[in-house]
Amino acid sequence: MTLSHSHSVRSFLGPVRAVIATVIAAASLAPGALAQDATRWGPKESASSFGWRFDDLFMLIVILTGVSFLIMMVMLLVPVFRDKARAGHKASFDHGRSLHDKRFTAIVSVIVFIVLDAWVLVVAMRDLDEGFWNVPGPGEAPNAVRVQVLAQQWAWNFRQPGVDNKFGTPDDILTLNELVVPASAEAEGNEDWFAGRPVVLNLSSKDVIHSLFLPEMRVKRDANPGAINRMWFTPIRPGDYAILCAELCGFAHYQMHGKLRVLSPADFDAWEAEASAMALAAYDENDAGAQWAWDWQE
Amino acid sequence: MLNLLLIPLGAAALLTAALATTDDETAVDVSKRHERPPHDVQLIIHEGTRLLAADADDGHDEEDDYAPALFARLSAEFPNRFTEDDEGIFRDAWPETRDGAIVWDDENECYWEVVTADRLTRGRQDYVQFCASCHALEGDGFGRSGVALRPPPRDFSQGLFKFTKVNSEKLPDDAALLALVKGGLLGTPMNEWDISDERLAEIITYVKSLSLPGDEDADGSTGWRDPYNQIAGVIDASDDPWTDDPGGAIEQGEGLYHKYQCYTCHPAYADAARTDALRGVEGSGTYPDDHTYPKLRKDSSYTVLDYNVAILPPDFTWHDMRRGNTVAEIYQTIAGGVAGAGMPTWKGAAPDEELWAIAYYVYDLAETYKGNDAQRAAFMRSIR
Ligand code: HEC
Ligand code: HEC
Ligand SMILES: [Cu+2]
Repeated sequence: MTLSHSHSVRSFLGPVRAVIATVIAAASLAPGALAQDATRWGPKESASSFGWRFDDLFMLIVILTGVSFLIMMVMLLVPVFRDKARAGHKASFDHGRSLHDKRFTAIVSVIVFIVLDAWVLVVAMRDLDEGFWNVPGPGEAPNAVRVQVLAQQWAWNFRQPGVDNKFGTPDDILTLNELVVPASAEAEGNEDWFAGRPVVLNLSSKDVIHSLFLPEMRVKRDANPGAINRMWFTPIRPGDYAILCAELCGFAHYQMHGKLRVLSPADFDAWEAEASAMALAAYDENDAGAQWAWDWQE
Repeated sequence: MLNLLLIPLGAAALLTAALATTDDETAVDVSKRHERPPHDVQLIIHEGTRLLAADADDGHDEEDDYAPALFARLSAEFPNRFTEDDEGIFRDAWPETRDGAIVWDDENECYWEVVTADRLTRGRQDYVQFCASCHALEGDGFGRSGVALRPPPRDFSQGLFKFTKVNSEKLPDDAALLALVKGGLLGTPMNEWDISDERLAEIITYVKSLSLPGDEDADGSTGWRDPYNQIAGVIDASDDPWTDDPGGAIEQGEGLYHKYQCYTCHPAYADAARTDALRGVEGSGTYPDDHTYPKLRKDSSYTVLDYNVAILPPDFTWHDMRRGNTVAEIYQTIAGGVAGAGMPTWKGAAPDEELWAIAYYVYDLAETYKGNDAQRAAFMRSIR
């Protein structure tokens, strides 16, 4: 279609028809989308003590942006219908340069900032402060399950201190791409942030930046070479969960995943005892090159 | 409207400031050799090479000869390429400069495969991209990502392989290596490499070219530059004698596993009295404390910084088997053995039917107990 015909294009895509077409398209797609397994569209259910805060924040953002999207749409559509050209009425155009319009824009901006950005920011900072960044310090969580995580291209090395609860000893439990931790049902909805057995991680990397992502625990943190980062969460329900790498780290990044096995406390104790015994059987004190534990960072 | 744009920018600045408070920086100790800087990485190889293609018809067991199989395969692909002379030597019509030509070596009585610099270069470049983080740019296993890794990434100059499912006294052929790299090794960071067959074949050629120069007196294998080595394909696992009676196989396998004393390395899955009964001996007395545990093998041929790395034989109810997803795969590993790790080649040492029965038993142990913690704990309590 050449430029000289553009006016017919414009009339075809006239605002009213465009809106109708959009609505029809959306309506015809929606049932298909809704018919899909609902879990495919959202994250899997949270399984950690403060994971629900992430979900709440997510919902808050969806609702706030959704509502303001609707308001914007109404504000756009009303003039389109009200002020269009028709018999006895000429379409009016306005560049919004009057003082009244500028004041209106300013007020809307302030409201959007306070209601959307500031609200979300305050909630997010509170959640981060009380949850994600609130890694238990010395003595704050004596029951904590401590794990050293050494990332590499393309695998996760996990080290747990074993029954003696000391790192760098022969009974350290070493696992690859599989982390086993106990569930703490009592941590769910508990006032005490460190109720039960929080899992505290020290993260580092051998080569490039990786990122340990435990989607069902609602936590994710980078593992950087030469540094030790910390992260924590308290699993509340036994089950198998995902371990992913969330930082593009090379060709086989997509294969860098594993399994987080959350066991009941009794099962975990049994597992830990057996895994420690197995670790002792595998330990070779003369193999200096195989030792990689570091001093625990509180 | 500009102020609307500024809001997310301001929020982003605030967040960045908050996130910038990182934790203490503490360096992780790594041994020096892994720290070689990747300076002057060689990506182009200027000279071609020759790699062992097949040993001569050495008059041993005919079934073991690799040359007939190799020439049958190549002739099917390129009819009329080879002519057999009076002495039974195959002569290639391709010129000796052509990539892939097979050349007879009169002195050493073996066939060499011609590898051009071009093919090596392509293999080298893909190797650097995919494999060097662990196996190192030099191929000696000291890559950055291989620090403190156990089992260590393989040093390819050793020409030693564990899980190719080939008789472990011989070198694996290309098909065996291809299947190994594609399948990966469970429980190690050696992944399932999802690379096209052609590119993988070139990587494998390059890996083979890393073997040290041959030497008749060399200790152990020196790979594809040593004319005295032999090449073999994957052990045939097509005639499983137990398909109609897996239950019987498992039962007999339990007896044979203990009779052949696999528990000198792997765990015994029976208490002392039952071990005696299964072995058919009476009151042999006591077994050591670690009878039902795997025993660390400190005599492996795999070295890191001149230290022979100890290797743990797996407890099939606890550890991952590297390549033991099916009964047939387990049969192949038992029959072929694990080179350099102390696990002997059982083919020939015991009848095939027995090896299959043991494979059924091992598979059943893993199926029943691995990952089923409660069931495994009860079983272990009953024998410890
Ligand atoms: C993330 C680290 C890593 C990367 C990357 C890697 N490997 Fe490995 N590879 C290993 C480890 C570890 C072993 C030793 C396993 C063992 O001894 O049980 C190994 C062993 C091997 C073996 C010997 C297997 C055997 O049965 O003895 C071959 C062959 C091999 N790798 C080829 C490759 C090739 C080809 C690539 C690139 C496409 C590659 N590897 C990339 C870690 C790696
Ligand atoms: C001299 C010690 C020794 C003896 C005897 C031995 N093995 Fe092993 N076996 C090993 C070692 C060591 C490994 C582990 C190699 C590795 O992971 O690098 C192994 C690995 C295996 C594997 C695992 C293969 C895989 O895919 O990971 C199987 C199956 C196995 N052995 C079966 C047997 C059976 C059956 C017997 C008895 C007939 C036996 N072994 C006797 C040392 C031994
Ligand atoms: Cu990664």
